[in-house]
Amino acid sequence: MNFYEHTLIAKQDISTPDLEKIEKKYEDIITKTAGKVIKVEKWGLMNFAKKIRAYNKGFYIHYKFEGESKTLEEIKKNSIIDNSLLRHLTVKYKKLDTETEYFKEKYNNEKKK
Amino acid sequence: MKRKSNKKFNKRPQNPLNKLSLFQKSDSRFSKTCPLSGKDAPAVDYKNIKLLKRYISDTDKIMPARITSVSQNKQRKLTSEIKKAKILGLI
Repeated sequence: MNFYEHTLIAKQDISTPDLEKIEKKYEDIITKTAGKVIKVEKWGLMNFAKKIRAYNKGFYIHYKFEGESKTLEEIKKNSIIDNSLLRHLTVKYKKLDTETEYFKEKYNNEKKK
Repeated sequence: MKRKSNKKFNKRPQNPLNKLSLFQKSDSRFSKTCPLSGKDAPAVDYKNIKLLKRYISDTDKIMPARITSVSQNKQRKLTSEIKKAKILGLI
């Protein structure tokens, strides 16, 4: 078992119930394939540095989990097919840092506005 | 015989801006130690955008280590983390 981080970028024009569905969908995939979700971070709606497929903004969801190669395959399969996602990235870690949240402040500032 | 004192060289002002080429290092402007290694060094991570932006030019190119004085090991890590951040559209 190894530690991983996975981030998804969903399209901007998705409604909030659909966003929650996406979030649950990938949580279920991890737990079904003998993995364990440690933390889920919602970074919220953020601006891209450059346009990605004619979109300027996107919803970011960040997972920290423990899993095997099976879980990675399943996640990759599903996220490539998924039409509501723009990009995804998984990174392997020896130790997970669950304390520092780099995008927490940004998300709160956008909410106030 | 008396030796000639090399006053000529002592008198020359040591201006840091007085360089031969653009890429020549001068001691006063650049720190020689790596800013990313050591005890209280910040974490090099693709989520830490504030730090990564310091090592990128205006046109989103990765700065060479000879200018930023980052160590070889950390420079390798920096490039990989910057590329990850670019995939996610953070930089």
